[in-house]
Amino acid sequence: MASEDEINLLVVVVDVNPIWWGQQAQREPEFTLSKCLDAVMVMGNSHMAMNRTNKLAVIASHCQDSQFLYPSKSWRGGDGGEDASSSGDGKYELLSVANNLIAEEMRNIMSKTEVRGNSTDTLLAGSLAKALCYIHRVSKDMEVGREIKSRILVIKAAEDCALQYMNFMNVIFAAQKQNILIDACVLDSESGLLQQACDITGGLYLKIPKKIALAQYLLWVFLPDSDQRSQLLLPPPVHVDYRAACFCHRNLIEIGYVCSVCLSIFCNFSPICTTCETVFKIPLPHMVKAKKKKLKTST
Amino acid sequence: MMMKLRVQLHCKNLHEYLRELSPEILDRLFNHPATCLAVYRELPDLAKNYVMRMLFLEQPLPQAAVALWVKKDSQKDHDECVSVLAGLRLWHIQQLQGGLQGYILNPVFKDNLRIALLGGGKAWADEGSSLGPDRHARDIESLDRYAMERWEVILHFMVGSPSAAVSQDLAQLLVQAGLMKSESGEAPYITSAGFQFLLLDTASQLWYFTLQYLKTAQSRGMELVEILSFLFQLSFSTLGRDYSVEGMSESLLTFLQHLREFGLVFQRKRKSRRYYPTRLAITLAAGVTTNSSSSSSSSSSSSSNMGSTPGTGDAGFIVVETNYRIYAYTSSELQIALVALFSEMLYRFPNVVVAQVTRESVQQAIANGITAQQIIHFLRTRAHPVMLRQTPVLPSTITDQIRLWELERDRLQFTEGVLYNQFLSQADFEVLRDRAQGLDCLVWQDVAHRTMVVTPQGHSEVKRFWKRQKSHT
Repeated sequence: MASEDEINLLVVVVDVNPIWWGQQAQREPEFTLSKCLDAVMVMGNSHMAMNRTNKLAVIASHCQDSQFLYPSKSWRGGDGGEDASSSGDGKYELLSVANNLIAEEMRNIMSKTEVRGNSTDTLLAGSLAKALCYIHRVSKDMEVGREIKSRILVIKAAEDCALQYMNFMNVIFAAQKQNILIDACVLDSESGLLQQACDITGGLYLKIPKKIALAQYLLWVFLPDSDQRSQLLLPPPVHVDYRAACFCHRNLIEIGYVCSVCLSIFCNFSPICTTCETVFKIPLPHMVKAKKKKLKTST
Repeated sequence: MMMKLRVQLHCKNLHEYLRELSPEILDRLFNHPATCLAVYRELPDLAKNYVMRMLFLEQPLPQAAVALWVKKDSQKDHDECVSVLAGLRLWHIQQLQGGLQGYILNPVFKDNLRIALLGGGKAWADEGSSLGPDRHARDIESLDRYAMERWEVILHFMVGSPSAAVSQDLAQLLVQAGLMKSESGEAPYITSAGFQFLLLDTASQLWYFTLQYLKTAQSRGMELVEILSFLFQLSFSTLGRDYSVEGMSESLLTFLQHLREFGLVFQRKRKSRRYYPTRLAITLAAGVTTNSSSSSSSSSSSSSNMGSTPGTGDAGFIVVETNYRIYAYTSSELQIALVALFSEMLYRFPNVVVAQVTRESVQQAIANGITAQQIIHFLRTRAHPVMLRQTPVLPSTITDQIRLWELERDRLQFTEGVLYNQFLSQADFEVLRDRAQGLDCLVWQDVAHRTMVVTPQGHSEVKRFWKRQKSHT
């Protein structure tokens, strides 16, 4: 089997926005963050069990920062010596070490957080960037002659944040260049940014109809890697919301003004581009006329 | 006509091995989470996804629904998966309400795979932690060294180094495996299969050896299911951790002693209550899938498989140049002896030997039963990191030439057949020949001598035709 040669790295980015999950717990007490993490662990375990060379990383995406849940800094791979936390319940040791670690790190994050200011948005672009950096590092560390196939799975809970539009797009294009798939599993409201990410990188976007069945959706749709996806029948691609956010107010717009030099997008006209400071010498003719008329009538 | 059939060292993969086991043994094997996980890993990728999709379902799924999982053009892969899953008794067909046929996972397998993935079952073995910390704890490095030493002793023994001594059991096993031969009390010597074995990478060697061991296990009065489960459990353990021998049966303890001799586990003393699995044990399951190299010719993609696992000792040290020179950066007697199997030694330095691949040396190796593919595979898996960076790893002139040298010996092709001769007339001969040709079973004919050769499959048909023909005239 040639697939033994290449390493399959899956980076799961979980949205752990405390505000959204707090509201969710009130709306639907049967599906909480811990249920979601359970599903992620099932998915991660299945991924690691599939092949000896499969690797996993889990990143929690919080309001102000994003943190690695697995592998964490405190854990040195291989020698689980000091924390002989192996399973007493028949679970594959590697998996139980990973699961314990994820749970522990998650608890750390939740107990540490203090919500500063009123930024309630998930720092998803930052987490994705972190994931890309991690993938890059792993592939650098690889022995010669070994190939690595990586993908990122985003489990998205909170609403999109148009403020992150620029960073997000940069991450997407970086991923596309590195041949990294971005998959998105959306729990609540549709995310235009992630739709674009999946469309551009060739990943799968799915807004799951039933949150409680998250684990089953993950196993059915997101577990197969790109090779197997070409054989399987999977949910058809969604209609992609390609609206861009303007650079001035971060509003999502369908029609706007584009700087002819740097391609920045604006929702209303300004004579000097705020990004590259180009001065537009020829203003639109009818606007000039309108101004003159106005001036005349006023005088 | 001299007919020398070359004995190819054929190394089965786990799947082939399991398929030969009887259904009862298979069902009992699935009683352990470790075996379920190992079997699961051996499945084709698509089948793995099938299992995952059904793992948490309690009702059978209609066959029609399962068939819709794949796209139309992958139907062949789907059929293969279905037959593999059924062949290993991982799922079976169940009648649904309304007369439809449905699939359901083998309940024992399903439960144990769930346990392996998510826990909730019994511990695999008694915990090593109950022993308390080990005063003589081993780090990973020393374990690697130990494992390699043990394994090399076996290989040294096979090439007949005087310093290498192995136990009676092991020597016997090597003879039984056909890797060595011993005649009337004399010291055993290596066979052609043994030469081929030496050229495999460590993971494949281990797996081949284990298969042979399992074959003879039952005759030693060992429980096959028990030792297989233990073997898989070992391959899923953590390197550098100690495990306890508590609760192991008598035959399992003997097995452990054998494993200790192969270097798969480390035990400080024979009576020690704890053991450490080594990297050899953990990569054992890896050899399961990468072993096909000995028989397949399409292993070019497996250029740097587990053969270069750090610590298994045969990490790259060979540089091959297009001028047929081999530079082997090693001081290991064994590795030098292996290189010398198919090359002529030129110079020897403390850390490197220089050898030349020549027609004579390769022909000599092939006469010993080594195939060109094995030589090439050996060079490729031991290739120096510098070599690994180029594609193809080995210069194609060298690989092609080695293959051509092998072909020089393979100028005869054997086809079984039945000879027809002593026809009384040319007309008789032609009638029968045309009939055989029409049946597409004519192998060879000689019109002048009125002889022809027919394939064994076609023989009965041709014979019947000839009898009918004779009765007519």
